[in-house]
Amino acid sequence: MDCREFCDQHLAFVDDTLAGIELVRMQQHLGECDSCAKHDAKIRRALLLFRNLPPIEPSPDFSRRLEARLKNCEYDHLFAATPGNLRRGAITATVASVLMLGYIGTTLFPSDAPRDLVMAPVVANIPEPELIPITTSTPAIVASVSAGLSIWPAALLAEQVPVRFAHSSLELANYTR
Amino acid sequence: MADIVRKQKISVEGATVRERLQAMDDSAVVTAFLGGEERAFSELVTRYQTRLLNFVYRTIGDREKAEDLVQEVFIRVYRHLHRFDRSKKFSTWVYTIASNLAKNELRNRSRNPLVLFQTVQKNFQDEDRPLQFEDPTSRPDDMYRKRHLREIVEESVAKLPEHHRNVFVLRELEGKSYEEIAEITDCNLGTVKSRLNRARNSFAEIIAPYVD
Repeated sequence: MDCREFCDQHLAFVDDTLAGIELVRMQQHLGECDSCAKHDAKIRRALLLFRNLPPIEPSPDFSRRLEARLKNCEYDHLFAATPGNLRRGAITATVASVLMLGYIGTTLFPSDAPRDLVMAPVVANIPEPELIPITTSTPAIVASVSAGLSIWPAALLAEQVPVRFAHSSLELANYTR
Repeated sequence: MADIVRKQKISVEGATVRERLQAMDDSAVVTAFLGGEERAFSELVTRYQTRLLNFVYRTIGDREKAEDLVQEVFIRVYRHLHRFDRSKKFSTWVYTIASNLAKNELRNRSRNPLVLFQTVQKNFQDEDRPLQFEDPTSRPDDMYRKRHLREIVEESVAKLPEHHRNVFVLRELEGKSYEEIAEITDCNLGTVKSRLNRARNSFAEIIAPYVD
Protein backbone atom coordinates (compact mmCIF):
# COMPACT_ATOMS: atom_id res chain seq x y z
CA MET A 1 0.00 0.00 0.00
CA ASP A 2 1.26 3.47 -0.85
CA CYS A 3 0.52 6.77 0.93
CA ARG A 4 -2.05 7.88 -1.65
CA GLU A 5 -4.07 4.72 -1.17
CA PHE A 6 -3.76 5.12 2.59
CA CYS A 7 -5.15 8.67 2.42
CA ASP A 8 -7.98 7.55 0.16
CA GLN A 9 -9.08 4.91 2.63
CA HIS A 10 -8.38 6.89 5.76
CA LEU A 11 -12.00 7.98 6.21
CA ALA A 12 -13.23 4.42 6.39
CA PHE A 13 -10.19 3.47 8.49
CA VAL A 14 -11.05 6.06 11.17
CA ASP A 15 -14.72 5.05 11.06
CA ASP A 16 -13.89 1.35 11.35
CA THR A 17 -15.83 0.43 8.27
CA LEU A 18 -13.01 -1.25 6.35
CA ALA A 19 -13.06 -4.92 5.48
CA GLY A 20 -10.66 -7.13 7.46
CA ILE A 21 -7.94 -7.46 4.86
CA GLU A 22 -7.94 -3.74 4.06
CA LEU A 23 -7.71 -2.94 7.75
CA VAL A 24 -4.64 -5.11 8.12
CA ARG A 25 -3.00 -3.44 5.11
CA MET A 26 -3.70 0.01 6.53
CA GLN A 27 -2.27 -0.91 9.92
CA GLN A 28 0.77 -2.38 8.19
CA HIS A 29 1.35 0.84 6.27
CA LEU A 30 0.92 2.85 9.46
CA GLY A 31 3.81 0.93 11.01
CA GLU A 32 6.02 1.54 7.99
CA CYS A 33 5.29 5.19 7.12
CA ASP A 34 6.00 7.93 9.69
CA SER A 35 4.30 10.61 7.65
CA CYS A 36 1.02 8.67 7.42
CA ALA A 37 1.25 7.71 11.11
CA LYS A 38 1.59 11.40 12.01
CA HIS A 39 -1.32 12.30 9.76
CA ASP A 40 -3.46 9.59 11.34
CA ALA A 41 -2.57 10.73 14.87
CA LYS A 42 -3.31 14.36 14.00
CA ILE A 43 -6.76 13.55 12.65
CA ARG A 44 -7.70 11.28 15.55
CA ARG A 45 -6.55 13.80 18.14
CA ALA A 46 -8.53 16.62 16.48
CA LEU A 47 -11.65 14.45 16.29
CA LEU A 48 -11.27 13.47 19.92
CA LEU A 49 -11.24 17.13 20.89
CA PHE A 50 -14.33 17.89 18.87
CA ARG A 51 -16.27 14.85 20.04
CA ASN A 52 -15.57 15.75 23.66
CA LEU A 53 -16.94 19.25 23.42
CA PRO A 54 -19.32 19.71 26.35
CA PRO A 55 -22.93 19.63 25.12
CA ILE A 56 -25.07 22.70 25.65
CA GLU A 57 -28.50 22.44 27.26
CA PRO A 58 -31.64 24.36 26.31
CA SER A 59 -32.26 27.45 28.45
CA PRO A 60 -34.76 27.09 31.34
CA ASP A 61 -37.53 28.96 29.52
CA PHE A 62 -37.11 26.95 26.31
CA SER A 63 -40.06 24.64 27.05
CA ARG A 64 -42.31 27.50 28.16
CA ARG A 65 -41.60 29.48 24.98
CA LEU A 66 -42.12 26.43 22.82
CA GLU A 67 -45.40 25.64 24.55
CA ALA A 68 -46.65 29.18 23.94
CA ARG A 69 -45.73 28.98 20.28
CA LEU A 70 -47.35 25.57 19.94
CA LYS A 71 -50.60 26.90 21.41
CA ASN A 72 -50.75 29.53 18.68
CA CYS A 73 -49.91 26.84 16.22
CA GLU A 74 -52.75 24.62 17.50
CA TYR A 75 -55.22 27.42 16.82
CA ASP A 76 -53.93 27.83 13.30
CA HIS A 77 -53.90 24.08 12.90
CA LEU A 78 -57.65 23.90 13.43
CA PHE A 79 -58.16 25.91 10.27
CA ALA A 80 -55.30 24.43 8.31
CA ALA A 81 -55.88 22.34 5.20
CA THR A 82 -54.99 19.03 6.80
CA PRO A 83 -56.41 15.82 5.32
CA GLY A 84 -58.70 15.47 8.34
CA ASN A 85 -60.02 18.99 7.99
CA LEU A 86 -60.36 18.60 4.24
CA ARG A 87 -62.31 15.39 4.71
CA ARG A 88 -64.60 17.02 7.25
CA GLY A 89 -65.04 20.03 4.96
CA ALA A 90 -65.85 17.80 1.99
CA ILE A 91 -68.45 15.87 3.96
CA THR A 92 -70.08 19.07 5.21
CA ALA A 93 -70.11 20.55 1.70
CA THR A 94 -71.65 17.38 0.27
CA VAL A 95 -74.40 17.29 2.88
CA ALA A 96 -75.12 20.99 2.36
CA SER A 97 -75.25 20.51 -1.42
CA VAL A 98 -77.66 17.59 -1.13
CA LEU A 99 -79.94 19.58 1.17
CA MET A 100 -79.83 22.59 -1.13
CA LEU A 101 -80.60 20.51 -4.22
CA GLY A 102 -83.44 18.81 -2.39
CA TYR A 103 -84.90 22.14 -1.40
CA ILE A 104 -84.60 23.53 -4.93
CA GLY A 105 -86.13 20.34 -6.35
CA THR A 106 -89.15 20.41 -4.06
CA THR A 107 -89.66 24.11 -4.72
CA LEU A 108 -89.50 23.89 -8.51
CA PHE A 109 -91.28 20.57 -8.99
CA PRO A 110 -93.84 20.05 -6.25
CA SER A 111 -95.29 16.58 -6.64
CA ASP A 112 -98.51 16.73 -4.55
CA ALA A 113 -99.61 20.32 -4.88
CA PRO A 114 -102.12 21.15 -7.72
CA ARG A 115 -100.57 23.17 -10.55
CA ASP A 116 -103.56 25.59 -11.03
CA LEU A 117 -105.06 27.05 -7.94
CA VAL A 118 -108.70 28.11 -8.17
CA MET A 119 -109.21 31.03 -5.89
CA ALA A 120 -112.60 32.21 -4.63
CA PRO A 121 -113.79 35.45 -6.29
CA VAL A 122 -113.00 38.53 -4.33
CA VAL A 123 -115.95 40.83 -3.64
CA ALA A 124 -114.98 44.34 -2.73
CA ASN A 125 -117.27 46.30 -0.42
CA ILE A 126 -117.10 49.93 0.47
CA PRO A 127 -117.59 50.17 4.19
CA GLU A 128 -120.31 52.43 5.45
CA PRO A 129 -118.90 55.64 6.88
CA GLU A 130 -118.94 55.49 10.60
CA LEU A 131 -120.44 58.45 12.26
CA ILE A 132 -118.69 59.57 15.39
CA PRO A 133 -120.55 61.99 17.65
CA ILE A 134 -118.66 64.97 18.95
CA THR A 135 -118.41 64.49 22.65
CA THR A 136 -116.58 67.65 23.56
CA SER A 137 -118.49 70.53 25.00
CA THR A 138 -116.39 73.17 23.21
CA PRO A 139 -117.04 73.48 19.44
CA ALA A 140 -113.86 75.56 19.13
CA ILE A 141 -111.71 72.49 19.61
CA VAL A 142 -113.61 70.64 16.89
CA ALA A 143 -112.88 73.45 14.48
CA SER A 144 -109.19 73.40 15.28
CA VAL A 145 -108.93 69.66 14.77
CA SER A 146 -110.56 69.81 11.36
CA ALA A 147 -108.07 72.52 10.40
CA GLY A 148 -105.20 70.06 10.96
CA LEU A 149 -103.98 71.47 14.26
CA SER A 150 -103.30 69.29 17.20
CA ILE A 151 -105.60 69.56 20.18
CA TRP A 152 -103.14 71.10 22.61
CA PRO A 153 -102.30 74.28 20.63
CA ALA A 154 -105.89 74.43 19.57
CA ALA A 155 -106.96 74.56 23.18
CA LEU A 156 -104.48 77.37 23.79
CA LEU A 157 -105.84 79.30 20.83
CA ALA A 158 -109.47 78.69 21.72
CA GLU A 159 -110.03 82.25 22.66
CA GLN A 160 -108.88 83.45 19.24
CA VAL A 161 -111.38 81.35 17.30
CA PRO A 162 -114.11 83.43 15.61
CA VAL A 163 -117.14 83.93 17.71
CA ARG A 164 -119.49 82.36 15.19
CA PHE A 165 -117.83 79.00 15.69
CA ALA A 166 -118.06 79.34 19.41
CA HIS A 167 -121.77 79.93 19.18
CA SER A 168 -122.49 77.35 16.49
CA SER A 169 -124.91 74.56 17.18
CA LEU A 170 -123.83 70.98 17.91
CA GLU A 171 -123.71 68.69 14.88
CA LEU A 172 -122.21 65.35 13.87
CA ALA A 173 -118.87 65.32 12.09
CA ASN A 174 -117.40 62.65 9.84
CA TYR A 175 -113.59 62.00 10.13
CA THR A 176 -113.25 58.92 8.02
CA ARG A 177 -112.31 60.72 4.80
CA MET B 1 -63.15 12.34 48.39
CA ALA B 2 -64.38 11.05 45.07
CA ASP B 3 -62.70 14.03 43.41
CA ILE B 4 -59.35 13.23 45.00
CA VAL B 5 -59.60 9.61 43.92
CA ARG B 6 -60.50 10.67 40.38
CA LYS B 7 -57.57 13.15 40.22
CA GLN B 8 -55.18 10.50 41.50
CA LYS B 9 -56.49 8.11 38.89
CA ILE B 10 -55.95 10.64 36.09
CA SER B 11 -52.44 11.38 37.40
CA VAL B 12 -51.57 7.67 37.49
CA GLU B 13 -52.98 7.24 33.99
CA GLY B 14 -50.87 10.21 32.80
CA ALA B 15 -47.75 8.72 34.33
CA THR B 16 -48.49 5.37 32.71
CA VAL B 17 -48.98 6.97 29.30
CA ARG B 18 -45.70 8.89 29.65
CA GLU B 19 -43.87 5.75 30.67
CA ARG B 20 -45.35 3.89 27.73
CA LEU B 21 -44.34 6.69 25.37
CA GLN B 22 -40.80 6.68 26.77
CA ALA B 23 -40.52 2.99 26.02
CA MET B 24 -41.67 3.43 22.40
CA ASP B 25 -39.43 4.07 19.42
CA ASP B 26 -39.79 7.29 17.42
CA SER B 27 -42.08 5.78 14.84
CA ALA B 28 -44.52 4.52 17.46
CA VAL B 29 -44.50 7.89 19.24
CA VAL B 30 -45.29 9.63 15.95
CA THR B 31 -48.16 7.20 15.36
CA ALA B 32 -49.46 7.87 18.87
CA PHE B 33 -49.39 11.62 18.25
CA LEU B 34 -51.21 11.29 14.95
CA GLY B 35 -53.72 9.09 16.74
CA GLY B 36 -54.58 12.02 19.01
CA GLU B 37 -52.20 11.54 21.95
CA GLU B 38 -50.95 15.10 22.52
CA ARG B 39 -48.39 14.01 25.12
CA ALA B 40 -46.53 12.13 22.42
CA PHE B 41 -45.30 15.42 21.01
CA SER B 42 -43.76 16.37 24.36
CA GLU B 43 -41.93 13.07 24.27
CA LEU B 44 -40.51 13.89 20.84
CA VAL B 45 -39.42 17.32 22.08
CA THR B 46 -37.73 15.78 25.12
CA ARG B 47 -35.87 13.32 22.92
CA TYR B 48 -34.60 15.78 20.36
CA GLN B 49 -34.30 19.24 21.89
CA THR B 50 -30.75 18.91 23.23
CA ARG B 51 -29.45 17.00 20.23
CA LEU B 52 -30.89 19.47 17.77
CA LEU B 53 -29.70 22.43 19.81
CA ASN B 54 -26.13 21.14 19.79
CA PHE B 55 -26.28 20.37 16.09
CA VAL B 56 -27.64 23.80 15.16
CA TYR B 57 -25.34 25.60 17.58
CA ARG B 58 -22.23 23.88 16.21
CA THR B 59 -23.39 24.72 12.70
CA ILE B 60 -24.24 28.41 13.14
CA GLY B 61 -22.20 29.30 16.25
CA ASP B 62 -24.88 31.42 17.92
CA ARG B 63 -26.59 29.93 20.92
CA GLU B 64 -29.59 32.23 21.15
CA LYS B 65 -30.36 31.93 17.46
CA ALA B 66 -29.83 28.18 17.67
CA GLU B 67 -32.60 27.96 20.30
CA ASP B 68 -34.94 29.96 18.09
CA LEU B 69 -34.22 27.69 15.16
CA VAL B 70 -34.77 24.54 17.21
CA GLN B 71 -38.14 25.92 18.29
CA GLU B 72 -38.93 26.56 14.66
CA VAL B 73 -38.00 22.95 13.89
CA PHE B 74 -40.53 21.71 16.44
CA ILE B 75 -43.21 24.06 15.15
CA ARG B 76 -42.71 22.71 11.65
CA VAL B 77 -42.73 19.14 12.88
CA TYR B 78 -46.00 19.83 14.70
CA ARG B 79 -47.59 21.37 11.65
CA HIS B 80 -46.44 18.86 9.08
CA LEU B 81 -46.19 15.60 10.97
CA HIS B 82 -49.24 14.25 9.13
CA ARG B 83 -47.25 14.60 5.89
CA PHE B 84 -44.23 12.73 7.22
CA ASP B 85 -43.50 9.54 5.31
CA ARG B 86 -43.54 6.98 8.10
CA SER B 87 -41.56 4.47 6.08
CA LYS B 88 -38.54 6.74 6.73
CA LYS B 89 -36.67 7.53 9.91
CA PHE B 90 -38.14 10.32 11.97
CA SER B 91 -34.72 11.51 13.15
CA THR B 92 -33.54 11.96 9.56
CA TRP B 93 -36.57 14.07 8.79
CA VAL B 94 -36.09 16.25 11.87
CA TYR B 95 -32.39 16.75 11.16
CA THR B 96 -33.19 17.63 7.55
CA ILE B 97 -35.50 20.42 8.75
CA ALA B 98 -32.88 21.63 11.24
CA SER B 99 -30.12 21.48 8.64
CA ASN B 100 -32.15 23.49 6.13
CA LEU B 101 -33.01 26.14 8.73
CA ALA B 102 -29.35 26.41 9.77
CA LYS B 103 -28.32 26.71 6.13
CA ASN B 104 -30.87 29.49 5.56
CA GLU B 105 -29.65 31.30 8.65
CA LEU B 106 -26.05 31.22 7.41
CA ARG B 107 -27.14 32.38 3.99
CA ASN B 108 -29.10 35.30 5.47
CA ARG B 109 -26.13 36.29 7.57
CA SER B 110 -23.81 36.37 4.61
CA ARG B 111 -26.31 38.62 2.81
CA ASN B 112 -26.89 40.91 5.78
CA PRO B 113 -23.72 42.15 7.50
CA LEU B 114 -25.80 43.68 10.30
CA VAL B 115 -26.90 40.23 11.39
CA LEU B 116 -23.28 39.18 11.49
CA PHE B 117 -22.49 42.14 13.70
CA GLN B 118 -25.34 41.32 16.04
CA THR B 119 -24.12 37.78 16.24
CA VAL B 120 -20.67 38.94 17.21
CA GLN B 121 -22.22 41.12 19.87
CA LYS B 122 -24.23 38.21 21.21
CA ASN B 123 -21.19 35.99 21.29
CA PHE B 124 -19.29 38.69 23.06
CA GLN B 125 -22.02 38.95 25.71
CA ASP B 126 -22.03 35.21 25.95
CA GLU B 127 -18.38 35.27 26.90
CA ASP B 128 -19.15 37.63 29.76
CA ARG B 129 -21.42 35.09 31.36
CA PRO B 130 -20.05 32.87 34.10
CA LEU B 131 -18.59 29.53 33.06
CA GLN B 132 -21.36 27.14 32.27
CA PHE B 133 -19.81 24.00 30.98
CA GLU B 134 -16.70 23.43 33.00
CA ASP B 135 -16.73 21.58 36.27
CA PRO B 136 -16.83 24.32 38.96
CA THR B 137 -14.86 22.13 41.33
CA SER B 138 -11.82 22.20 39.02
CA ARG B 139 -8.79 24.40 39.76
CA PRO B 140 -8.98 27.88 38.18
CA ASP B 141 -6.02 27.31 35.84
CA ASP B 142 -7.49 24.01 34.72
CA MET B 143 -10.84 25.65 34.12
CA TYR B 144 -9.16 28.38 32.10
CA ARG B 145 -7.28 25.85 29.99
CA LYS B 146 -10.43 23.84 29.30
CA ARG B 147 -12.40 26.93 28.44
CA HIS B 148 -9.65 28.18 26.19
CA LEU B 149 -9.51 24.82 24.45
CA ARG B 150 -13.26 24.81 23.95
CA GLU B 151 -13.08 28.23 22.36
CA ILE B 152 -10.30 27.11 20.04
CA VAL B 153 -12.24 24.01 18.97
CA GLU B 154 -15.39 26.03 18.34
CA GLU B 155 -13.48 28.66 16.39
CA SER B 156 -11.78 25.97 14.33
CA VAL B 157 -15.12 24.39 13.44
CA ALA B 158 -16.50 27.80 12.53
CA LYS B 159 -13.65 28.25 10.04
CA LEU B 160 -14.77 25.24 7.98
CA PRO B 161 -16.82 25.97 4.86
CA GLU B 162 -20.54 25.67 5.58
CA HIS B 163 -21.21 22.51 3.56
CA HIS B 164 -18.19 20.80 5.13
CA ARG B 165 -19.13 21.89 8.63
CA ASN B 166 -22.67 20.56 8.25
CA VAL B 167 -21.48 17.10 7.27
CA PHE B 168 -18.72 17.17 9.87
CA VAL B 169 -21.09 18.00 12.76
CA LEU B 170 -23.65 15.42 11.66
CA ARG B 171 -21.03 12.72 11.57
CA GLU B 172 -18.73 13.54 14.47
CA LEU B 173 -21.21 15.01 16.92
CA GLU B 174 -24.46 13.32 16.06
CA GLY B 175 -22.96 10.05 14.89
CA LYS B 176 -25.09 9.85 11.76
CA SER B 177 -24.33 7.27 9.11
CA TYR B 178 -23.10 8.36 5.67
CA GLU B 179 -26.46 7.36 4.18
CA GLU B 180 -28.40 9.43 6.68
CA ILE B 181 -26.14 12.43 6.11
CA ALA B 182 -26.67 12.04 2.37
CA GLU B 183 -30.42 12.13 2.91
CA ILE B 184 -30.31 15.05 5.34
CA THR B 185 -28.02 17.19 3.19
CA ASP B 186 -29.58 16.03 -0.08
CA CYS B 187 -26.23 14.91 -1.52
CA ASN B 188 -25.04 11.64 -2.90
CA LEU B 189 -22.94 9.25 -0.84
CA GLY B 190 -19.70 10.07 -2.66
CA THR B 191 -20.10 13.79 -1.99
CA VAL B 192 -20.73 13.12 1.70
CA LYS B 193 -17.58 11.02 2.02
CA SER B 194 -15.50 13.51 0.11
CA ARG B 195 -16.78 16.46 2.19
CA LEU B 196 -16.29 14.61 5.43
CA ASN B 197 -12.72 13.64 4.52
CA ARG B 198 -11.89 17.24 3.59
CA ALA B 199 -13.58 18.60 6.70
CA ARG B 200 -11.59 16.27 8.94
CA ASN B 201 -8.31 17.17 7.29
CA SER B 202 -9.05 20.91 7.39
CA PHE B 203 -10.17 20.81 11.00
CA ALA B 204 -7.04 18.89 12.03
CA GLU B 205 -4.86 21.40 10.16
CA ILE B 206 -6.58 24.40 11.74
CA ILE B 207 -6.43 23.10 15.28
CA ALA B 208 -2.98 21.48 15.12
CA PRO B 209 -0.96 24.63 16.04
CA TYR B 210 -3.00 25.07 19.22
CA VAL B 211 -2.74 21.56 20.53
CA ASP B 212 0.78 20.52 19.51
